[in-house]
Amino acid sequence: MAPTYNIAMISDFFYPQPGGVESHIYQLSTKLIDRGHKVIVITHAYEGRTGVRYLTNGLKVYHVPFLVIFRSATFPTVFSFFPIFRNIIIRERINIVHGHASLSNFCHEAILHARTMGLRTVFTDHSLFGFADAASILTNKLLKFTLSDVDHVICVSHTCKENTVLRASLDPLMVSVIPNAVVAENFKPLTHTSSSGSNHTFSSPPQHSQPHFPPARPLGPHDIVTIVVISRLFYNKGTDLLTAAIPRILENHPNTRFIIAGDGPKAIDLEQMIEQNVLQDRVEMLGPIRHEEVRDVMVRGHIYLHPSLTEAFGTVIVEAASCGLYVVCTQVGGIPEVLPNHMTVFAKPEEDDLVAATGRAIAALRANKVRTENFHEQVKKMYSWTNVAIRTERVYNGISGAISEAEFYGYDENTTTNTWSAATRGRSGVQSFALIDRLKRYYGCGIWAGKLFCLCVIVDYLLFLLLELWFPRDKIDICSDWPRKKPQLTNGKGEKKKKEKEEYIL
Amino acid sequence: MLKTTTPHLYIRRPSPTTAEFTVTTLPPLTIPLRLLLLTITLLRLSTVLAATVTIYSRFSLLLPPSTSSSSQPSATTLLLQGDIPTLLTHLLTLAHFSAPGLFLSNITAPIPDKILLPFSSLAIYLALFLQLHTTESLLVLRGLGIQTSSGWSPPFGTSGSGETNTRTNWWKWVGRGGALWGWAPKTRFIPTEKIRDVLINEAFRGFEVRYYLIVVVEGEEDVVVVFPKLLPRKKIVEAVWRGVRGCLYEGDRDSVNTMGAGGGNGHQHAGHGHNSHQGQGNGGQQHQSDGKWDS
Repeated sequence: MAPTYNIAMISDFFYPQPGGVESHIYQLSTKLIDRGHKVIVITHAYEGRTGVRYLTNGLKVYHVPFLVIFRSATFPTVFSFFPIFRNIIIRERINIVHGHASLSNFCHEAILHARTMGLRTVFTDHSLFGFADAASILTNKLLKFTLSDVDHVICVSHTCKENTVLRASLDPLMVSVIPNAVVAENFKPLTHTSSSGSNHTFSSPPQHSQPHFPPARPLGPHDIVTIVVISRLFYNKGTDLLTAAIPRILENHPNTRFIIAGDGPKAIDLEQMIEQNVLQDRVEMLGPIRHEEVRDVMVRGHIYLHPSLTEAFGTVIVEAASCGLYVVCTQVGGIPEVLPNHMTVFAKPEEDDLVAATGRAIAALRANKVRTENFHEQVKKMYSWTNVAIRTERVYNGISGAISEAEFYGYDENTTTNTWSAATRGRSGVQSFALIDRLKRYYGCGIWAGKLFCLCVIVDYLLFLLLELWFPRDKIDICSDWPRKKPQLTNGKGEKKKKEKEEYIL
Repeated sequence: MLKTTTPHLYIRRPSPTTAEFTVTTLPPLTIPLRLLLLTITLLRLSTVLAATVTIYSRFSLLLPPSTSSSSQPSATTLLLQGDIPTLLTHLLTLAHFSAPGLFLSNITAPIPDKILLPFSSLAIYLALFLQLHTTESLLVLRGLGIQTSSGWSPPFGTSGSGETNTRTNWWKWVGRGGALWGWAPKTRFIPTEKIRDVLINEAFRGFEVRYYLIVVVEGEEDVVVVFPKLLPRKKIVEAVWRGVRGCLYEGDRDSVNTMGAGGGNGHQHAGHGHNSHQGQGNGGQQHQSDGKWDS
């Protein structure tokens, strides 16, 4: 019988703000609830969203009122979050604290406090960072602080793992890779929708509107090939590259056009490029679109162009492939891991190569060498949130000791030498909550930083003791749980046991 | 013993269709506690008296003693004449020249005016109005509505219900939190047809998340919080919630069903009242907004 946990997902980033991290947390939480766990989300208050709310499935969200400084990240006030955090953790009887996103100050603080309170912690990193500029150095130091004493780290791609391991000087063994996923049902190609009967708002280009023959999407030599770009128009998303490449691609390939969706500071550059080259009739700028509309825009095209300069995972290219688009993308970050070769054309992150790669993609499509109509089914098999939830659950099992360390870390106890074990045990902190062990871990962070971090940890611990006196545990009301779901993959006996446990909990 | 306890609940059900839920920090009234409270009341009374006499003798008697020298009618004649101010002055003068009064003015003589005046005023104020404990209540009348009351009860109100007099007086005294004098409590009556729902909500308050009972009133943007000062713990709130549901809606399902949206809504909630999560999700004001989240 698999144990179930009370999990708190903590991040600065959550709905109603749209975004990748936000939907990751939501989808993962939903699937974990489906598997019989209890999940709550703790985030800061958004405009008009303060207090406690329930979402579908009994997912409970605490919008803690806190000061927001920059792009919905909260002000780093190391200790001020502790009292309310402790209250929530106790009343919800949380065993595992799972923080998301390295720019989220909330998450870092929560992991520190959670370790002080003696809880298991997991951290998921969603982004890549450099090592050179001042901001990165600062963020990396902060990350090192938090991750000095975390039970396990999850990264969304192997590149991301490498990056995080270097930034936070972690033992690679305590970092797992669990990729993002997509809800494939929300990203069906056009041919699918006509059979399922749902209506779509955007009209399809005439050349591929033969709906009932899934394999049939042949492209004539003079049909127009539409290239879609959906991204926030920032520097790191490669908008400059796009601005340079579009005129050349359109010049080389007469029957092509672009649809660009998204907004950002670089939108003005794109517009200038369109004006200068008089491409108004061949490049369409849609401006900002909502996440629900992404699919409707994608199905209008044949090729998805992703010129990003850095990317930890790139959910959007999975979505594009799921919609049946041939993907042209830069070979950076975690992108090469995401899709199989037959769905993508890779380019180096430079203008010439991007133009050439797009040329190759157009040629391949015109030659009908690419079976884009099969992409949806393939992607559906590759990525599912249920799978992500199962893998995350295994991490929870590993850190809480439900499965043995040997099984979790995948080594053989008989053959491995003790050196490895000692190193990881010391680092991963799976065993020890003792303050002295925690301090040892923090002390190694740097000559000055180590001492500063130790000071923070000690203050945090004293604060914890003070809070225990000031707001005693028995004065905090325990929440009644939302009725838990039974895990789907259990036999009858297991379910009965589970029921008994539920009654006991309630 | 005198210390106020954590809020606890008294339920009074004079009839099947009426229920009163009182949450108070006053400990159960045992004989020693009653005696102690009586002593405190007497102490308060004497404090008020002493402070008044002190102020009077210090500031009033400095003036040329016109009233005391001219005529000295007895207190009873003044009372019969209905000349209350003169009577009071007369009584205070008598108190001043009595043995305890003289003793008091002797003691307070070295204290300068600047200190004496504010301190004795403060003493009077505290003795009159300081609450030792807080009491809040919720009265539910089926078919009529509910009344929330918070704060002090009127000092000389007439007892309306068929309760025994002594008991009512005790409760009134309790309602004032032991103070000698209180203003009227803040009561609010909400008729049944205006009640959209009664539910338990969660919210951030200070450094914690609290459960509290709210009444959603039709046509009002803000909900009415029951027991706003004490905010009792979840156990009490749940008990009151069940009690209110039971008293308001149960046993008259037919009439509720014909009542339309307002009552009907509440009735549906009562139907599966075992699930206290029913209403908690909505952040108080926005009841429909959750739909946006279901992506």
